[in-house]
Amino acid sequence: MSSDVFTQEIIKDALVAVGYEMFDAMIRTSMSPIIYETTDFAVGVTDARGNLLAQGNGVAAFLATLDTAVQSTLLHYPKAGDVLPGDVIITNIPYEGGGTHLSDVVILVPVFHEHRLIAWTVNKAHWTEVGGAQAGSVSTNASEIFQEGLQFPFIKLYEQGRLNEALVAVIRANVRLPESTIGDMHAGVAAARVGARRVSELVDKYGVDHVVAAMDGLLDYGERMTREELARLPAGTYEAQDVVETDGVGGGPFTIKVKVTISAQKITVDYTGSCGPAKGPINCSYTGLVTGVRCVFKAITNPEIPANGGCFRLLEIICPKGTLISAQAPAPVSLYYEPLITAMDVMWKALAPVMPERLPAGHQRAVNATFVAGIHPDTKELFVMGEPLVGGWGGASGRDGDGGQFCCANGETYNIPTELFESRYGLKVEQYAFHDEDGGAGQFRGGKGVVLDYRVTADEAFVTYASSRTQVPPWGSHGGQPGSLNGLQIIRSDGSVSHHEMCTAVRVAKGELIRLTTATGGGFGDPRQRPRELVERDLRNGYVTPEQARRDYGHVAAR
Amino acid sequence: MQIRAASDVGGTFTDLVFYDIDTGTGRCGTVRTAKVDTTPPNFEAGVMNSLAKGGVSPAEISFFAHGATVVINAITERRGVRVGLITTQGFRDVLEIARGNRPDLFNFQFHKPLPFVQRELRAEVRERTNYKGEIEQSVEQDELPGIVARFKAAGVEAIAVCFLHAYRNPANEVAVARRLRDLWPEVSVLASHQLSREWREYERTSTTVLSAYVHPIAKRYIESLESRLKAGGYRQPPYMMLSNGGIATVAMAKENPIAMVESGPSSGIYAAAHLGHLIGRRNLLVLDIGGTTAKCTLVENGEVRITTEYFVERTRRTPGYPIQTPVSEIVEIGNGGGSIAWVDAGGKLHVGPQSAGARPGPVAYGRGGTEPTTTDANLLLGRIDPKSFGGGEITPDWDAVRAAFDTLGRKLGVSGVEAARGVVRIANANMTNALRLVSTNKGYDPREFALMAFGGGGPMHAVALAEELKIPEVIVPVNSSVFSAWGMLLTDLRRDYVHTHLLPLTPENAPAALRQFRDMEAEAAANVSQDGIALGDTAMSCEHFADMRYQGQEHTVKVPVAIGAQGIDLAATIDRFHAAHQKRYTYRLPNPVQIVNFHVIARVAVPKPDLPRQQATGRKLGDTLIGRRIVDFDAHGVHDAAIYDGLRLEPGMELEGPAIVQEPMVTLVVPPGNKVSTDEFGSYHVHLRQS
Repeated sequence: MSSDVFTQEIIKDALVAVGYEMFDAMIRTSMSPIIYETTDFAVGVTDARGNLLAQGNGVAAFLATLDTAVQSTLLHYPKAGDVLPGDVIITNIPYEGGGTHLSDVVILVPVFHEHRLIAWTVNKAHWTEVGGAQAGSVSTNASEIFQEGLQFPFIKLYEQGRLNEALVAVIRANVRLPESTIGDMHAGVAAARVGARRVSELVDKYGVDHVVAAMDGLLDYGERMTREELARLPAGTYEAQDVVETDGVGGGPFTIKVKVTISAQKITVDYTGSCGPAKGPINCSYTGLVTGVRCVFKAITNPEIPANGGCFRLLEIICPKGTLISAQAPAPVSLYYEPLITAMDVMWKALAPVMPERLPAGHQRAVNATFVAGIHPDTKELFVMGEPLVGGWGGASGRDGDGGQFCCANGETYNIPTELFESRYGLKVEQYAFHDEDGGAGQFRGGKGVVLDYRVTADEAFVTYASSRTQVPPWGSHGGQPGSLNGLQIIRSDGSVSHHEMCTAVRVAKGELIRLTTATGGGFGDPRQRPRELVERDLRNGYVTPEQARRDYGHVAAR
Repeated sequence: MQIRAASDVGGTFTDLVFYDIDTGTGRCGTVRTAKVDTTPPNFEAGVMNSLAKGGVSPAEISFFAHGATVVINAITERRGVRVGLITTQGFRDVLEIARGNRPDLFNFQFHKPLPFVQRELRAEVRERTNYKGEIEQSVEQDELPGIVARFKAAGVEAIAVCFLHAYRNPANEVAVARRLRDLWPEVSVLASHQLSREWREYERTSTTVLSAYVHPIAKRYIESLESRLKAGGYRQPPYMMLSNGGIATVAMAKENPIAMVESGPSSGIYAAAHLGHLIGRRNLLVLDIGGTTAKCTLVENGEVRITTEYFVERTRRTPGYPIQTPVSEIVEIGNGGGSIAWVDAGGKLHVGPQSAGARPGPVAYGRGGTEPTTTDANLLLGRIDPKSFGGGEITPDWDAVRAAFDTLGRKLGVSGVEAARGVVRIANANMTNALRLVSTNKGYDPREFALMAFGGGGPMHAVALAEELKIPEVIVPVNSSVFSAWGMLLTDLRRDYVHTHLLPLTPENAPAALRQFRDMEAEAAANVSQDGIALGDTAMSCEHFADMRYQGQEHTVKVPVAIGAQGIDLAATIDRFHAAHQKRYTYRLPNPVQIVNFHVIARVAVPKPDLPRQQATGRKLGDTLIGRRIVDFDAHGVHDAAIYDGLRLEPGMELEGPAIVQEPMVTLVVPPGNKVSTDEFGSYHVHLRQS
């Protein structure tokens, strides 16, 4: 071997850096705060066959959406010459590769060297608006995909460098905010082209054969690193199940079941036995399921290895068609992330007993997506507030869970500062604090959930909310207690209180209070094993009430 | 004769740079330097040592500027004091919830950084200001004695106060701070509005808490430095280097110590911009390679970018802690001379981010280090002169170095020398990626910039990096290993005022915008007179900027605001915004434009002599030749290279690689075909071979 091994390494690192560069390009070119602030997108590079080489992620739940989109594209365009230099493909079909819900649109750019297809650069981003029955293209009560917006079935947005004006005109005519939507579209194309240019530069500098060899090398490296980790995991078969409580239109609960088999060669994750589709929009596509499983797979192997297709060669996923988590057309999928997170959570729950060093107890397990709309009392303009909520993570071997953290499907997701929030929306935040509801006791405590109080200052406001873990709390591990629940309350002027798990456009009048509560995570280990000084510290910090200390921890106050 | 001196306390070394001024002619003498070990925890001892080593008596000094790592060290080593926090009722957990983000996406054992104040020491009071700055509820003062009693009992030494919307109207914070000082005069009290007038309550709370955490320590440090200098006969108070590229009086530094958090890197960047200005290079990529990290930034049109979105301990895997204080925009990576090379389970070679530091240091130090570092690789490849290794004070342990690379090579299936080349290549690739982050990733083309490199390792790697990024010219300042300290002798007093005030930029609002700027100028003027600055008749000057955005968008762009006799020139300002937005974000919109933050930079010039310029004495290039040695230039081959004494080069001389230009602490590597000249300030210019 010569020092050429280092050139290979440098090409590999450069391919990974392309992911970061496209990530920055997406933030730079996007006009939608949901993309550049919430980073609800992912960018990546695959080889010619759709093997994932590198990915830049804003949220965890896009992990399988880029490579599978390329793989499905190749099924739509199977022959040489079907895809040409200058083409750009667009898709948001939930039921094929790359699919989640219609708002998440995939843009694919093939990279050619002379006439040889060598790579794809891809991104998937949450567009502001793709039409459909509800503004923002998300609802908690759709019954068919057709109510959720436009579908782009792996069509060419550009043909050999020429923009498909007819398609753009159709999009423009079918969405509420055409400028934003078309802006998002151009941002996606620009980011993918930045990556394509960088890959071409690598080919110019190092030669096509070296670059292709480095791609293969990168995949093999991912596999090698992952195999090392696999050998350390406890072989065996592990099972678990759990539920999504409701589908927003009166159905539920919906059970998701898993059987995980670990050997030194691979991990098989089998969801056979999970329930059928829901009427409401809580169906999840197979791509969504793959994403979820891959996330947990990364968590239990080595999260530090850059995610690439090589890592996932050792992962097998089984799920019959047409379940809640392998949805078929025309099932509505707006809230696909709640069953996706549940699918992750059951795999996590199945393995937690045997991998305490990698997997804490159950967490709040929900995005807790909350939307409030109304007319701003000062500017008299329409405001639409949309945000996910932080909650408690589970206790872990050796450490209490974190309080106030976004769920496992999020990632580089940020809460909205109260000072920005109050200036933008007709709502006043009265508290953003940990609550002291029962739950999560353990030798290592679950992290605290939060309570958020929004006082309506607009004349009226309309709240839409979707969650799970609203009836069945996060699970404890190794003898720890379950956590608490997610939920929404509306406290009316007359003192009456209504409770909600999923709701669409519920009216709240000026001066009334919207109270959002997120779950405290499950505990880890027997609470009676928690050292007295830690219980006393929790009492001083107010993480545990005197009543909870006595009941859950057997704490007797010093006289 | 008078001496102007600056000292920069770094992690490993304390640098002193000084020159004398002939009081008769105003001419200044040669720039001299002294380097001594840093002396934690009593850093002032190292400063005094450096003066002694340089033969400078404090009594001779007319101007002394100082940059210290005391603030950043107290934070990263967790040596600050116990802090109590007081917040608006309902918001004490903001400090712990933080922003909720989890950058380490697939790690389910992720934990956010621990808050610097435990919940039991986070008190709430009933008070409220709304987003318009109107007081909805004034402070319930009765609650304060109880809080103070609790804090006293818990051993609190500093109190941080942060209320919602205090950036807009600090009245409630002012009232509480005043009452706290009455109740407990000995304690440090820091209210958020004294440190930041920007929105985002978590970031502002974190800023206030970290300021309180370091306040007593920074104050004690500055006071003991003052008294040591005074005891030595120095008659003025020293000036302290800030993170914004300016200096401040000790009074201001003691009040707002967090403003010193990145003083070292910022003075180097400021110095780079200043030197660039003198030599007509206004577009620079700046690279500072130290022992453990490499820092880079971009200077466009002579402007050092200042940001208040600064974090300590932030990586790709952890959110770190935000500090809303004006800091030069820097990308920092864990790649320096001491970075350790290692091979992972998949057979991949990595360099850094772990560093051998000063102890044990590189393998060649012979202090017990066995893991090869970038410095070791450069030594093995003949780039570093073994005779002047570590300033000539260390004889390299060659056996240990060869053994370390043979071991590394075996893991990779290559020879020891090939492994060393690989280490340099990987280190270069890491630094190239960092330079891309500040250039190509933000829409700049490196071909339009010169690369200015300094720090111990900058000149060693700069030409290879420029080649990779197609940068046409590399500039290495003379005495580049103490460049940061040198920068402090060039700076002026500077304070940045950044106020959040949402204002659509319309003709109707122009007077309000002007009023906001005038208010901030008045605050600046008041601070200057409070500081008791006596620097002759130099007046304060102000520059005006605004962080602006399109209505409906989030991200802002900082642009200079044109203020003329008629007030704010709206059309010119909005045009600048459109252009800057297009550059940064690739598009412009027809939307109305809004100001988010008003930014005033107030400067008071420090009188100082011009930098001395070198004259050619007619010395021949051959006279500067120290000798020749075999140097491995990796892809450019192994050559018998000429070694030049950099300090003897003169303007007008030109040399060509393969060559090495050396100073006692500096090695400039010049691969074959690249030409080097020097300018009248002694800096080296490498003109890259056009490929």
